[in-house]
Amino acid sequence: MDYLIYLTIQSGIFIILAVSLNLINGICGQFSLGHAGFWAVGAYVGAAYSVFAPLPVPDFVNLFIGCGLGFTAAAIAGLAIGVPCLRLRGDYLAIATLGFGEIIRIIIMNMDAVGGPRGFTGIPAWSNFFWVYLWVIITIVFVVNLLRGTHGRAIISIREDEIAAESMGIYTFKYKVMAFAVGAGFAGVAGVLFAHTTQFIHPNSFNFMWSVIILLMIILGGLGSVTGAVVGAVILSILPELLRFFGETVSEWRMVIYSMLLICLMLMRPSGIFGKHELDIKKLLGMKKGDA
Amino acid sequence: MSTPVLETQGITMRFGGLVAVNNFSLQLGATDLVGIIGPNGAGKTTIFNMITGIYTPTEGRVFLDGKDITELRPAHITQSGICRTFQNIRLFKDLSVLDNIRLAGHFRVDYGVMSSIFRTKQYHVEEARLVQEADKLLDIFGLKSKKDHLAKNLPYGEQRRLEIARALATKPKVLLLDEPAAGMNPKETADLTKLIRWVRDEFQIAILLIEHDMSLVMNVCEHIHCVDYGQLIASGGPKDIQSNPKVIEAYLGADAVAETK
Repeated sequence: MDYLIYLTIQSGIFIILAVSLNLINGICGQFSLGHAGFWAVGAYVGAAYSVFAPLPVPDFVNLFIGCGLGFTAAAIAGLAIGVPCLRLRGDYLAIATLGFGEIIRIIIMNMDAVGGPRGFTGIPAWSNFFWVYLWVIITIVFVVNLLRGTHGRAIISIREDEIAAESMGIYTFKYKVMAFAVGAGFAGVAGVLFAHTTQFIHPNSFNFMWSVIILLMIILGGLGSVTGAVVGAVILSILPELLRFFGETVSEWRMVIYSMLLICLMLMRPSGIFGKHELDIKKLLGMKKGDA
Repeated sequence: MSTPVLETQGITMRFGGLVAVNNFSLQLGATDLVGIIGPNGAGKTTIFNMITGIYTPTEGRVFLDGKDITELRPAHITQSGICRTFQNIRLFKDLSVLDNIRLAGHFRVDYGVMSSIFRTKQYHVEEARLVQEADKLLDIFGLKSKKDHLAKNLPYGEQRRLEIARALATKPKVLLLDEPAAGMNPKETADLTKLIRWVRDEFQIAILLIEHDMSLVMNVCEHIHCVDYGQLIASGGPKDIQSNPKVIEAYLGADAVAETK
């Protein structure tokens, strides 16, 4: 049972990561590969707060303060990286963000105060199912409401055609940086929750592979779709665990099966499960006719 | 002539050793309808790119209402009142027709990011205003029934019209049209001719257009500049331009001029 709860909490954390990366990659169209770096910033800042200087208030308030600090720190890191990097496009941006993500990890590796290569231990277990999913809801509501307003549309227009957006009077650079910072901020929150779930964090828990896995989640779900990011995150965090239960042979081959499933899905639906669309209850019930 | 709404003073664009546009000057009155013609690669689109800030001219200045806008960023220039369409249509393809128009009103919207997150009253008021303005414009351009369609699913002619409508939604003083009739059949071009003149009269704005389709240019423009190899070679009314030997030479070669003589 504990195992199931742990899995659910882990999926929740990945939902936050996927939805926030989707804001940068899928919705704004800026290819970032440094998401694990922002996740790490949040995790270490949140953990450092609750280990070294927690306020004398109830634990959940401290967790909330930690999340706020994690968000702020990661968003600032996002700004610091985004302002120089977002002048680049496509592959160049991907490589630059990848580099910065790794730089963050190496810096943490060399910070003795937070354990350095030994890892950071003794983090209180304040996070639980409720707080994680509260933040999942906050993240999703934030992103969805943002997208339905003019600022969100401006962010989408950059993905659609940056030159056209600029010549419609939209300050494209400002919105690129904004999407980047907000996305980084929520990754920071995911980090804080992660640290307070596992109680132990290590710089290598945030290496480049995790950026790729989060990217896989949103590509699987459909770049640009919030629903897709959620579904992608759930599938990719549950699937490798689920395959353990189908007997010994499957268990041994589970990483191979996992990769094969991904390849098949990408062959059959290259635009991801949801494409750019959202799950729309009204449309499902046939109450609304749309173009799409 | 009263003060021109748009004025370029000797703008020049060099890419390395190549002079794409050399010393181009133009004055546009408040409701003028002016065309720029010239063979392929003459530098017409480069002139547009300099006016709209996509390129900063190597030399020369651009003035809007007497204010120097040469160094401003494209978005800022649009906000000051110059909006353009593109040679190869640049719509927001995966957004609806309505969203395309609403985005053009983006810089005049008066609510912050937090307002849209928390759905404040101001958010609802401003969004309602945006939709109302967009509806009005779509009605004029006959696209209202398709406002929920994705822009990429519109037929070609309607995409062109939507792009003009979107440019008008920024409420410009000067509208720049880059080959609006490209890829249109004669019937669509004739409709477009009417539309362009009507837009000028209805919105009382200045229109500057680049075009290859001579029937459109000669019908709609009151004044025409002809450029070749980045140089202004002739300028005048449609009649003057049609009979100008330099223009004929640029389009048909020196031999053709000799034959007509």
